[in-house]
Amino acid sequence: MLWCALCLPNPCGTESLASAQHGLALWALQFTPRVTLLDEAVLMEVQASLRLFGGAGELAARVRVDSPALGVVSVAWAATALGALALARAQREDVGHACDSGGGGEVDTTLLAERLDPLPLTVLTVTAPLADTLAQLGCRTLGELRALPRGGLTRRFGPALVEALDQAYGLRSPVFSWVTLPQTFCARLDLMARVENAMALVFAAKRLLLQLQGWLVARNAGVTAFTLRWQHDGLRHQPGEEGDALVIRTAQPMRDMAHLSRLLAEQLARVQLAAPVETLILEVDSVCDYRPPTASLLPDAAEDRDTLNRVLERLAARLGAQRVVRPVLREDARPEWAQQWVPASAPMRARPVSARPVSATVRSEGLPEPTFLLPEPLRLAVRGNRPLYQGELQLLLGPHRVEGGWWHRVEVAGGAAEGRQVARDYWVALSAHAGALWVFQTRVAGEDAAWFLHGVFA
Amino acid sequence: MTSPALVSSSRLADLPPAVAASVWRGDDLAVPTGAVVSSGWAALDAELPGGGWPCGSLTEVLSPQPSLLEWRLLGQALRQVTADGGNVVLVGPPKPPFLPGLQALGLQARQLIWVQTETPAQRLWVTEQLVQADTAGAVLAWLPQARAEPLRRLQSRLQGGRTLCIALRPEGARSESSPASLRLLAQTGPDWTLRVQVLKRRGPLHDQTLVLPSVPSSLEAVLSRRTRLPSRCLALPAGARHAVVRAVSAEPLRH
Repeated sequence: MLWCALCLPNPCGTESLASAQHGLALWALQFTPRVTLLDEAVLMEVQASLRLFGGAGELAARVRVDSPALGVVSVAWAATALGALALARAQREDVGHACDSGGGGEVDTTLLAERLDPLPLTVLTVTAPLADTLAQLGCRTLGELRALPRGGLTRRFGPALVEALDQAYGLRSPVFSWVTLPQTFCARLDLMARVENAMALVFAAKRLLLQLQGWLVARNAGVTAFTLRWQHDGLRHQPGEEGDALVIRTAQPMRDMAHLSRLLAEQLARVQLAAPVETLILEVDSVCDYRPPTASLLPDAAEDRDTLNRVLERLAARLGAQRVVRPVLREDARPEWAQQWVPASAPMRARPVSARPVSATVRSEGLPEPTFLLPEPLRLAVRGNRPLYQGELQLLLGPHRVEGGWWHRVEVAGGAAEGRQVARDYWVALSAHAGALWVFQTRVAGEDAAWFLHGVFA
Repeated sequence: MTSPALVSSSRLADLPPAVAASVWRGDDLAVPTGAVVSSGWAALDAELPGGGWPCGSLTEVLSPQPSLLEWRLLGQALRQVTADGGNVVLVGPPKPPFLPGLQALGLQARQLIWVQTETPAQRLWVTEQLVQADTAGAVLAWLPQARAEPLRRLQSRLQGGRTLCIALRPEGARSESSPASLRLLAQTGPDWTLRVQVLKRRGPLHDQTLVLPSVPSSLEAVLSRRTRLPSRCLALPAGARHAVVRAVSAEPLRH
């Protein structure tokens, strides 16, 4: 058995001890299902999970790095729950010894006793109120207390004292009530100081994200949407402004803290706070089953795709989802409607409607296709029946007729509908400076014909 | 008496192979540490260190104007990249890319991403983020107004990575110093050719212009023998610059 005790300060800053303990327990549940609350501490039994987290040393390092953000003031490892708690209270972090004693499931009582004996009596909940009385008996450490006759101790102080001593030294195993995982996640954080800058909320939200990560790991899930709400300072906010919220969505189920916090930072960078913020609330809107990445020595295409998706998500968070796009082909002869740009984060259709690619069926039947398409056809000047674009164009190949769209009507300003029918003769034209161009000739209302530039064979 | 070249080569042979590989002497082409992607022309590959576009190192392609020859020059390499499963990300292209035309290069819809940017700072930020992710794929960034320091940062982030990153820049940037390890100037020539000059490379100075045949891939199927050589068969309008073209088009037309 290997116990880890995470001690919270009591009183615990602005928030109540219970809510701090609850948040810490959520985070701890990612390491083991055996998490329990005891007085001001959270205790977890991690013997069975050691291998999953890369050994006691790795796990201890991870706990040491993450736990201060959750308000933990001291961490201790020992073979019994009360022993770990006593060591944590005495501020003695000592992983090396814990690893030795945590070998086989049996509690190595002699080693533990060596560590516990010199501790003062204040470290155990049962002995702390009796410390003064016992000190007058000349008994100041746990070791000295243990040396007293058990019968006398029981008669003088009741059976609880001896029982607690036995539990701390591993001679008797106590019964714990384990913390169960809530079905939904909603964590609240009262900020230590009023926050006026949206970016500063990122640091405050880190604590909530850590709890979220613990909850997700314990649920074996990844988050796809979560909401960060904030409530304004109760004294200073104008009535009617209860606060605001930010919804973050991810393309794939995600539990990577660093990525979630970067997404949050990108979104918060664009937020203007109406008033100083007092309280942060993090709620999970939807989760999906999470498949952790396979650990592999060689670079993997799937891993590459995940990495790229994560970067694109970050780009979309800053630039806007409409600015990070990928193309979707449509079955339309008119070039403007032959492709559509959709946000790269939008889910991809599993397979195209037809088994053959769209392009192979409808397009490219002898029709040259440019590689760049102007957003709007550009009207070209004409000199002597030849269109001009950076000099006179030489028509090389054509005409290719593109006609269609009689069914397509769009609403324009004023409620009127306007047809999008086109009848164009496309030519491949050469320009001395601008390379190979795609131009078309069409009839324009009131005139004979006009030339337009529509694409570039770059 | 031994010649200096012999001395240096024998000393190089004494070094451990890993160290010797990283020593580059100015008179021969360097061997890049990362992978390379073939450009598709043997003549160009022969002039590029390692025999292709280098991954994990910044390449600059200068051209007289944007959206002139990008896909014609890089298409073969991108075909290779996408065939290996990589994605192609475009940062700030001058015009919207047109997928039906790009499919002739072997690009699929799911392998093409277009990141629209407004300011030069955004272009650089986006490119840096993509490069830092270090995925196997290509990043084409149109960076008309980048200064040397941000490019240096890009180059250092790319170092040793797997990404094929190509910065497309105007010809005017030729006189500016650049941290890119490979710099090319590409122009269009008559009769579907590209004229490419290697401005900077890890190797001896290259002062010739390579003339590479390059028909846009979507035109490959539709061009006839006559339209493959437009300068011979069609009268070019006045204003065509190339001396060759003028000389040929001065002859009477033969149809």
